[in-house]
Amino acid sequence: MNAVTPMKPWKTPILRVLFFVLGAIKPLQSGLKNLSFIHFARWVIIDRTEFPHLGPKQPQEKLQYDYLIFFSNFNGTWNQYIDAFSAVLSTGLNAIWMWSEKFPGSVPVTPFKGYINQVQFDTDYYYNAYPRAATNDVKAALRVQDAFTDFAQTSQTLSPAEFEKAYLEFLVRVQADLGSTGMAPVGT
Amino acid sequence: MANQSGQIYGLTILSPILEGDTLDIAHATALRWYLASLPRDHTSPFAQVSSTHFARLVVMDDVVFVGAPAIEEHLKSRYLVFETNFDGDLDAYLIRMAKEIPDFVDSVWKHCVGYPGVADPAAFGAYMKKCQIETTFFFADVNNQTVQQNLKALQLQSALSHFIGQNQGKPAAEIQKSFGVLLEHLAKAPAPLPGGKDSEKTAAEDRPYDR
Amino acid sequence: MIDSAKIDGAKIDSAKIGGTKIDVSDIQGFALKGYNFPYARYLLLELGHVKGARDFIGQIVHYLTTGERWEEKPVSTVNIAFTFPGLAKLELPEPTLLSFPVEFQQGMKARGEILYDTGKNSSEHWEPVWRDNRVHIWLAVNAQTPAALEEQCALLLQIANQTGGAMLLQAQDAHAIFIDGKPTTKEHFGYTDGFGNPDFKGAERDCVPGQGKLTADGKWEALATGEFLLGYADESGELPVAPIPHLLARNGTFMVYRKMHQNVATFRSFLEEQGRLYPGGKEKLASKFVGRWRDGTPVELSPDGMDPALVADYDRNTNFTYGKDLNGLRCPVGAHIRRGNPRDAFGFNGELVNRRRIMRRGLTYGTYVPEGQPVRDEDEHGIIFMALNASLFRQFEFVQQQWIEYGNDLHQGNDKDLVIGNHGGRGKSVLQGTADPQNPPFLCANLPNFVELRGGDYFFMPSLTALQMIASGTVDPR
Repeated sequence: MNAVTPMKPWKTPILRVLFFVLGAIKPLQSGLKNLSFIHFARWVIIDRTEFPHLGPKQPQEKLQYDYLIFFSNFNGTWNQYIDAFSAVLSTGLNAIWMWSEKFPGSVPVTPFKGYINQVQFDTDYYYNAYPRAATNDVKAALRVQDAFTDFAQTSQTLSPAEFEKAYLEFLVRVQADLGSTGMAPVGT
Repeated sequence: MANQSGQIYGLTILSPILEGDTLDIAHATALRWYLASLPRDHTSPFAQVSSTHFARLVVMDDVVFVGAPAIEEHLKSRYLVFETNFDGDLDAYLIRMAKEIPDFVDSVWKHCVGYPGVADPAAFGAYMKKCQIETTFFFADVNNQTVQQNLKALQLQSALSHFIGQNQGKPAAEIQKSFGVLLEHLAKAPAPLPGGKDSEKTAAEDRPYDR
Repeated sequence: MIDSAKIDGAKIDSAKIGGTKIDVSDIQGFALKGYNFPYARYLLLELGHVKGARDFIGQIVHYLTTGERWEEKPVSTVNIAFTFPGLAKLELPEPTLLSFPVEFQQGMKARGEILYDTGKNSSEHWEPVWRDNRVHIWLAVNAQTPAALEEQCALLLQIANQTGGAMLLQAQDAHAIFIDGKPTTKEHFGYTDGFGNPDFKGAERDCVPGQGKLTADGKWEALATGEFLLGYADESGELPVAPIPHLLARNGTFMVYRKMHQNVATFRSFLEEQGRLYPGGKEKLASKFVGRWRDGTPVELSPDGMDPALVADYDRNTNFTYGKDLNGLRCPVGAHIRRGNPRDAFGFNGELVNRRRIMRRGLTYGTYVPEGQPVRDEDEHGIIFMALNASLFRQFEFVQQQWIEYGNDLHQGNDKDLVIGNHGGRGKSVLQGTADPQNPPFLCANLPNFVELRGGDYFFMPSLTALQMIASGTVDPR
C-alpha cells in the first residue's frame, strides 16, 4: 500500500522528532512486529523544496505543504490490515498521521478507512521475491533452519535410541513452525 | 542510518518524468503501459538482481487534495517512485541494476529527466542517488537474512514438513537412515529462484529426497 | 405468540444491562437466544407476486417469536429471514436495496472464491434449491415435539397458500441427536457441541466467563451490542454499516446458513487409523483436532483426559485463554475452536478477535449412527450451520477465509482447519505436543474433506418493526 498526505511545514519537524523518539523507544516497532503481517514498512518525509529537480527544463515545484509518504509490504487483505491497525496500533498511528491535514484519527475505523482510501495511490508494478510466503512463514522457516542445523550435526552419529529421543525433542522445537506456504486468500 | 535496518537497505527514489507537448503518448502513460506488461515472477528483472526482497514502481501523477480547509495544490511534474528493500550496499545494488538488467533500466528511466543511460554504471548510480529521498522511519520484520537465506530456509521448511509426515510412526533406526538421505539431498538441492516459480514448491511438487 | 398491542408500542419490554438498552420485543428471538429445542424445520420459500407476498409477511408477523423473556417455554417458535432476492421481490425501494452491504446483495454463492467454497464445496455440488437462487425466505420453526413442529408448519404453509404469497421449495428438517432417548448437543462426528456463544451487552442471559471479551485485567466482559445487532454501537466505537432507513435496519441482523454434510465414514476411519499411530490414543487425538474432548472437556484446561465435572460447570467450561499456551503444547494452535475463536492467542489481549465473533445457532440433521455401526459417507447427515452477526463481511466471512481455510494469523501458514477445511485430499495439520513420548507432536497429512458444503445463503433477519414496514410497503429510504 502507498499513501501520501500533506503536512503544514511547521509540523514537519515535530514529526521528525517523533519518529526519532519512536525509533528509540520502539513501541511502534514492537507493535508492528507483533501484528506479524508486515514484511516492511517505511515513512518518508519530503520537504516541499526537496522534490528532485534535475535541470532547467524541469519546472521547479512551488508547494505549500510538506508530504509524508508511506509504503508497506504486508500479508492479508487491505481491510484486515486497516482494521488491525485501528484496533491495536491507533496510538502510534495517530502520533504519525495527526500532523497530516484532515486526518480523522485511526479510531473509529470507518472514517480512517475513508481517509486512507483518499490518500492512497496505486502501484503500477510490484515484485515479491517469495510470493507464496508470508512474513510469518519466513520467520518460521528461519527458526526451523536453526533447529535443523543443530539437530543435523549429531543426527547420524547417535545410536537409534538416542536418535529417537533427540528427534522427538527436535520435533517439539519445530512443531509450531511447519505451516505450508501458498497463495494468500483473495482480497475482498 | 535511517535507510538501513539490519542488513536490509530501504531505497526510495523519486525520478521526475519527462513531459512533452509534441508526443502522441505522454511519457508517464507509456511508462505505465510498460510496467503493466512486465512479468512479476521469477522472470522479473528484480529476480535477476537477486538481492531484492520487494520492489515497487509507481507513477505518481500528483499529490492528493484532501479537501477544504486544506489548500489545493499540484505538482508541476509527475514522478516515478521506485521503492525497494534489498540486501546490503546501495552502490553495489545500483551497479547491479546497470550491469545485469540494462534493458529494463533503459525502458523505464528513459522516460525520466536527466537519465544518463547505463553504459557508465557509476554515472547511473550518481543519477539515481540524486533522486533519492531519505527514509525517515523504517520497519523491517526480518532484517538480518538475505533473499537467498530466506528462500533456502523456506525450501528446507517444506521438505522437512513432508519428511516428518512420511516418517511418522516408523522405527527410529529407519527414520535416522532416511534423515541422512534428506540431509544429502538438501545439501545438493539447487538454490530456489526468487520471484515465485521455484521459490518454494509444495512438498507434493518437489521431492528430491523421494526415490 | 405476541399480540398486536405490543407491536403498536402500547407495551414495550426492554432490557437495560450494561448501559445498553435493547428492545427485546422488537428483536426476533432467534437472534437473542438459543432456544435449545430438539426439533426444527427450515421452510425455504419462494415469494410470489408482491401483493400476495406482502400479505403473507403481514400475517406471519403475528406468529413470530421475539426476544421477550418467557414465563413458560412455548411449544414452538417461529422466525423469519430474507435473502436479497427476497427483499427485491417484496419491492423494497431501489435506494434501500442498494444500501445493503455488498456481500449480502451478492449472496453466498457469488462469494465462493472468497469463502474457499471451491472444488468439492463449490456450488455445482450444491442441492438444486441453493444452486438456483430461488430461496427468498427462511421460515424457521423450532419445536419441543414432532407434533408441535408439524402443527406449526402446517399452519404457516396454510397462510402461504391462502395468500398465494409464497411457495415451499424445500423443508429442511433438523433435530438434536438423541442418545438413550434424550436429546444431546452432539454432532455426527461424536463431539459435544454448543459451547461458547458470545456474550453481548443487552442480551438476556448472564455473562458466562469466557464468552465475552477480555478486559485489561484478565476478566471477561460482554461485547458491544453492535457486533450482533444493527443500530447499536459496535466494538470499534461506531454504528455498524447498515441499510437505510434506520428503522428497517435497527434491531435486525444478518445470518449465514450453510448446510454442511458430514462424511462420517471417512472421519471415523481416519480417526481409527491415525488413532492407532498416535501414542495417546484415539480419543486424545480426537480432542486435539477440535480443542475439546468429544464429551466437551476443553483441552486447554484439561489436555490429558475428559472431565465431566468441568463440562457441567458453566463457570468453567468455556473459561480459558491461550496466552500461556502460545506454542500449542496443550491445545494445538490449529485446533477447530481455537481457529473459530482465538481469544488472546494473537496477543494484544484479544483485541484483534473482538470484532470477529459470530453467534452460532446450528443444529444437526440426519439419522445418527452410533460408533461401531456401519455408516456411509453418502448417508444424509450433517449440521445446518447458522451464524448471526452485524456484518457478514467483517465477521463470518473473515473467520471463514482467514482462520478456518487459512492459517497465517495463527502462524500455521496455509494449513486449514482439520475438521471442516476444504482440503481436497492434500491438507495437512500439525498437532503440537511435548517431549513426552505419550504426547508427541503429530502431523496429519493428505487430509480429505470431512465436511462438504451442500448449499446455503446470506439472510437478513429484520426486527418486528421492519417486518411491518416491509409487509405494508412503507419502507422509505428518504
